[in-house]
Amino acid sequence: MPLQNAVADALNNSEWVFALAECVHIGGFAVGVGTIALVDLRMLNLGLRRETAARILSYTELWTVIALLFAVFSGVALFLSQTDIYRVNLIFPLKMYVLAAALIYNFTVHRKVATMGNPPPLLSRFVATVSLLLWVSVVFGGIFTGFLV
Amino acid sequence: MPTAHSIQRIESLTAFSESVLAYPIVLSIHLACIALFGGMILATDLRLLGLTFNSLTITEVVTSLRPWKRVGGTIMIAMGLLLAASKAETYAPNPFFWTKMIILGLIGVHALIFRPIVYSETEELDRSPVIPAKAKVAAILSLVLWTAMFVMGRLIAYWD
Repeated sequence: MPLQNAVADALNNSEWVFALAECVHIGGFAVGVGTIALVDLRMLNLGLRRETAARILSYTELWTVIALLFAVFSGVALFLSQTDIYRVNLIFPLKMYVLAAALIYNFTVHRKVATMGNPPPLLSRFVATVSLLLWVSVVFGGIFTGFLV
Repeated sequence: MPTAHSIQRIESLTAFSESVLAYPIVLSIHLACIALFGGMILATDLRLLGLTFNSLTITEVVTSLRPWKRVGGTIMIAMGLLLAASKAETYAPNPFFWTKMIILGLIGVHALIFRPIVYSETEELDRSPVIPAKAKVAAILSLVLWTAMFVMGRLIAYWD
């Protein structure tokens, strides 16, 4: 059973802790950003139209916050596991700036416009588009941190 | 693995996997789709379980997310195939990769079983006073399969 051997090897090697942290990191990110994207989809008027963006936000917000906390804490663990690599990485600081921007934006501008009673449609669309672009940029930053050392 | 070797040697795929930029860009798109598309799967499953979005009908959640899931899923799978084909020789003996492909197949089976009785019958589900068990079974299996798919994807990198 090559699979069983592979699993055993992964578990016997302390590498599995790293793999687990990566799964939590990417999984937490996916759930966090995926739930934000549902609000964006509504703000873009492209889905879930029978409910307001504010209501979609209230349904998803707790999921978003908890999932992003998982992503951030596992990210810190990954960072601490090999700080010297990240310290000289050219892309990693960019990822951190974009992440900071995305987080601040999400809980200020994005939240404010999503909960507005009757926001101008163009404003909603613009704010949602910026939100999606910021989060996709964080994904690119994360992948390129690993590729362009 | 002669087949894997010949897939990988396809000129465009060689150029792709050796490109400094193309490979990580495609991987980023693959992962961005997982985030955006994964949120929609999660939303659908949680609604089927009655855990959130309860002021929206199941029909509304399923039908309004369907086109986006299709778009996201298509891009995600296309990018994934490109990533795998460009490294076919490394992937061919990798048990995590094949487990992932089996899970992908099971997701297809899940769709074949549950589309006719759950996802295409959402109005019947909405009329029911309590969410029928078949909808909850479909949702739980979907969550389990997609989580397993995701974890296998990550573990591919850990086999040597």
